[in-house]
Amino acid sequence: MASRPIAPLGPAERRKLALQRGVSRWLSPIAFPLIAIALRYGLGYRIEGLRQLRRSYRRICLERDGPFMICANHLTMIDSFMIAWALGSPWWYLRHFSSLPWNVPERSIFAGTAAMRAAVYVLKCLPIERGGSRAEVMRVLRKLAHVISNGEVALIFPEAGRSRTGRVNLESAAIGVGRVYRSVPRCQVLCVYLRGDRQVSYSGMPVRGEVFRGSLALIEPKTDQAGLRGSRDIAQQIVARLGALEQEYFDGRK
Amino acid sequence: MESTEIFERVVKILTPYVKNQQALDSVKLGTHILDDLKVNSARLVDVVLEFEDVFDIEIDDDDVDKVETVGNAVELIEAKTG
Repeated sequence: MASRPIAPLGPAERRKLALQRGVSRWLSPIAFPLIAIALRYGLGYRIEGLRQLRRSYRRICLERDGPFMICANHLTMIDSFMIAWALGSPWWYLRHFSSLPWNVPERSIFAGTAAMRAAVYVLKCLPIERGGSRAEVMRVLRKLAHVISNGEVALIFPEAGRSRTGRVNLESAAIGVGRVYRSVPRCQVLCVYLRGDRQVSYSGMPVRGEVFRGSLALIEPKTDQAGLRGSRDIAQQIVARLGALEQEYFDGRK
Repeated sequence: MESTEIFERVVKILTPYVKNQQALDSVKLGTHILDDLKVNSARLVDVVLEFEDVFDIEIDDDDVDKVETVGNAVELIEAKTG
């Protein structure tokens, strides 16, 4: 039998994750509404078609027949927050906590201080050091595969960083995404494209008062290739779908 | 295949991906591919896939995680080419 692309998580790490989920379950009802208020009223962000996006996500979550992961385009440092906000209201996540996505923020940016580490812990984050030690990266990928297998949702940026060109970079498919996907039986991928109208290239924060538009596509990538080639093939299919959603976004603005 | 020959071919494969030319000039078995040669971790996959093509071997996902130094790569390829 072929080995799984990612080995299962050990018991100690499973317990730690369960603890983090438990803590987050109690504290995120305070944290997440504050973030949503800050995004909407502090920074003036607005999402066009918000109701439709949330309705689609709700339907996918409630009607799903197996696990799925979210893969999104990546242009700003707060994309994870924006996507969580776009897909569900804080009140809805209270009742459907598994649908609030786990995130994989860059450790050097989001977990530099004790306060930030506490915040990312509460907000279902698994910090990763991109380009860091392979053992550490694998540990995070194992956690991701574990939470997804257990019916939780995780958000991953398959370009492995903010696109430097401002467009989905078809050449930059992170193989880790393919490995996670192939480690979770019957997994699907919800591709999410979200972009601010004035977002030209990558940045730290979107401009104040930005208007965002988004679209979703649920896919089930397949490959007949094995090993790394299979994982790369899967990752490329996901990035290609995001590229297609991006094309639709720009076509819609013409 | 001799391990010296494998070493030379591994270094040749790595060369286009290396950002630290100085480290490449003094490359040895203990040279760390990411830390010393500054190969981008995302490109390491391309490197390993080239190993598969050049040496006509198949490398498992689990084995990829063990490749940290040039020596690890040489040992892995030696084991696969038998």
